[in-house]
Amino acid sequence: MATTLTAKDFATTTPSWWCPGCGDFGVIASLKQAAADMGLRPKDTAFISGIGCSGKISGYFHSYAFHGVHGRALPVATAVKLANKDLTVIAAGGDGDGYAIGAGHFMHAVRRNPDVTYIVMDNQTYGLTKGQSSPTSALGYVTGTSPGGNPDEPLNGLAVALAAGGTFIARAFSSEPKAMTEMMKAAIAHPGFAIVEVMSPCVTFNKINTYKWFKENVYHLSDLPDYDSKNRAQAFEVLMQPGKIPLGIIYTEIRPTLESLTIKDSPAIAGLDIETANPRYAAIQEAYR
Amino acid sequence: MILNNVEVMFGGQAGDGSLTTGDLIAGVFKHMGLEVYTYKDFPSRIRGGHTNYVIRAGETPNYGMADYVDGLVAFDLEAVEKHIDEIRPGGFIIFDNSHDTLTDAVRRPGVHYYEVPLAKIAKEEIGLELVRNTVSLGVLSRLIGMDEETVFGDVRAVYQRKGDKVVDLNIRAIQAGEKYVDDHFERPSGYGLTKGVDGDRLIMMGNDAISYGALVAGCRFMAGYPITPATDVLEWMAKYAPKYGGVVVQAEDELSAINMVIGASFAGVRAMTSTSGPGQALMTEAIGLAGVLEIPLVVIECARAGPSTGMPTKTEQSNLNHLIFSGHGEIPRVVIAPGTVEESFYLTATAFNIAEKYQLPVFVLSEQALCQSKATLPSLDVASVTVDRGKLERNGHLTFGEYRRFAFTEDGVSPRAVPGTEGGMYLAAGSEHNDHGVITEDARNRAKMMEKRMRKLETMRPELPKANVLGDRSARTAIIGYGSNRGPIAEAQDRLALAGTPTRFLQMRTLWPFPEDEVRDFIAGADHIFVVENNFTGQLERLIRYVVGPLPNMHAVLKYNGKPFRPVEIIDAVASVVAGAAAPRPVGA
Repeated sequence: MATTLTAKDFATTTPSWWCPGCGDFGVIASLKQAAADMGLRPKDTAFISGIGCSGKISGYFHSYAFHGVHGRALPVATAVKLANKDLTVIAAGGDGDGYAIGAGHFMHAVRRNPDVTYIVMDNQTYGLTKGQSSPTSALGYVTGTSPGGNPDEPLNGLAVALAAGGTFIARAFSSEPKAMTEMMKAAIAHPGFAIVEVMSPCVTFNKINTYKWFKENVYHLSDLPDYDSKNRAQAFEVLMQPGKIPLGIIYTEIRPTLESLTIKDSPAIAGLDIETANPRYAAIQEAYR
Repeated sequence: MILNNVEVMFGGQAGDGSLTTGDLIAGVFKHMGLEVYTYKDFPSRIRGGHTNYVIRAGETPNYGMADYVDGLVAFDLEAVEKHIDEIRPGGFIIFDNSHDTLTDAVRRPGVHYYEVPLAKIAKEEIGLELVRNTVSLGVLSRLIGMDEETVFGDVRAVYQRKGDKVVDLNIRAIQAGEKYVDDHFERPSGYGLTKGVDGDRLIMMGNDAISYGALVAGCRFMAGYPITPATDVLEWMAKYAPKYGGVVVQAEDELSAINMVIGASFAGVRAMTSTSGPGQALMTEAIGLAGVLEIPLVVIECARAGPSTGMPTKTEQSNLNHLIFSGHGEIPRVVIAPGTVEESFYLTATAFNIAEKYQLPVFVLSEQALCQSKATLPSLDVASVTVDRGKLERNGHLTFGEYRRFAFTEDGVSPRAVPGTEGGMYLAAGSEHNDHGVITEDARNRAKMMEKRMRKLETMRPELPKANVLGDRSARTAIIGYGSNRGPIAEAQDRLALAGTPTRFLQMRTLWPFPEDEVRDFIAGADHIFVVENNFTGQLERLIRYVVGPLPNMHAVLKYNGKPFRPVEIIDAVASVVAGAAAPRPVGA
């Protein structure tokens, strides 16, 4: 019996640890709405997160949730999908989790293209450790670890994803819930690795990249009449352009998923019956006679 | 003449093909009904650098090398220079004098030298210098009396896939080697072989047995990163697991590999990784995560000489401390160690049951001298492997809200739901959590949760692999060891007994949780206790002291030069102390 679930059915009773006004509230709200709209079932959804303020999100999404070690959400998510391809797998983390400590896994997850949706909640700072600079902090950003101003060029994660063979690359702004929900739905529906970078302001520690700053510094690709999200060159152009930040679906492409190349048409591995000995096992040792 | 007992070493430069020939000879010995052990001593490079491959054959199972090499096949002078002192008095050297000349410095009385222009014969008579290995096989075959029919049959089997031309080339190369012996040498080698019955046996490498055990135990997910000497397991599983519906991922690093294994296991699939010291170090944080998430997983640790890069292709037992104690915080974990190729199969299969029944990481510890060595063994009883998935919940039993993934239970094991199970949704958090999985730093809960997790180490004890006790149980000299040292210790025992020093030997197979009772019972009443291990600090010996207490009559017999023990080294160490020495000297130092 398929009862209709609402966004509330994806809520947990765990109280939120986020500061009032945190951009991450918008992200969880959109994800829950997207899940409800798409008819996902909590029992068939795995939600994998890393460490940091953003990493708390898995605890607020009713599902099989996983809150692992710092930077490793994507290896876990990739393996969950391989282990049970029938699941909807969502991974989430912050700019530090995904672009610093987990950067190595990020580009390899992109190139492997498992059917996983990855939400990067980018607040351009390290919130949970009280405001140090992050891989996406602006040059000159002054923090406790960069008192003379951040000397490191901010990382363009979506451009990295595009270069690494990304098949769904999008950016949202957490104070635009409707657009974000639609984007989450498109990302979850995309057959392959879908990355959604969400501009998610930290109201406590980042006094530069505020809601107001974002409102003044973003634009929507939907406003560009000739923009084609299937055109990689165009995507690179908007991603590399200095100045205003593009929002929307930046690039999409259909490419075989990791599961389709490895497990193919076989049933989900997690469903295999391994409790009875396989008669073919004994034959293996014939090669060692 | 020494009959049916020979240790042959092939020495030359890496990449010259001696591996294929060595494997071929190992196969011939096996097919002649002999028991075989091989040891690879390779440099950590692909081309060049001295390499040697030891193949030992005898009438009784030997899981290690003999005291000496009986016959060295030396493809260059360096091989003779390096190994001349390992040749048994009365042994022989087949020396390729095509390019090098034997010097007086490498001539020893009692060693016989057969100088054969192997490369020249290969080039001039067969037309391909590359087959000089096979020419040497012909020379060796004639000198020690390998059964010709078996040799030719095995050559055909090995080279068949390369076509008739290659088979023919190699057969002619063997014949050329045999003819050279017939034409030039009258002196017998002093060694001889007789053809017996092969029987229902296998010849298998330790890593293959581990992999096979994992597959039969239902492992259907593996992620790993190539690292010597563990890569064989990754490659074996990549070949076989997909045929059984599984999947193998070559991860971008060991951090990813272990987290993938955790992810797959979280999703309900029996999963493992294989690695060696450096990779093991990188996995440490995530192993802690698996412990606190109570996720079953198996880690195959194929130890090599460390630290850092160390000596990647050499053997060592220096990772025991790391497996038992590494990591921040405290988790329950299990370390088991097979001592033979056969045990590598069965104990790996057992590891999956322990992991899943007690929901924790289980390490299978092997080392280069075992995992990359081949040995003959009875056919494996795959049907005897059972699968016990423990408290894995099935659909239809759980009610969300009532279900407690981390329920406090008497045995410390809680019911485990995996994604797809109705009513079982929970948060698996590396943060401390309550029985429902909700993150909490409540002090009372913390203490209770620590106790619950650690309690598993006690409840599992009856199911852990028991040690093997070898030799004379009432002997007053006791020896303790594990892993690849099983072979040389057991062999040393036989000879010590003949020389009037009977011994008892505890081959430990569970190293953690430490089998305190087992060790206490074993050492009771011993005059001397020797702990034989391949490391500098005596890790197992210290562990015994740490758990059992100070034992003034306990001595560590240590070897840490990258090479496995030879029996005589253990005999000398034991005999010196029994004769009154204060402590044995490190071997090979």
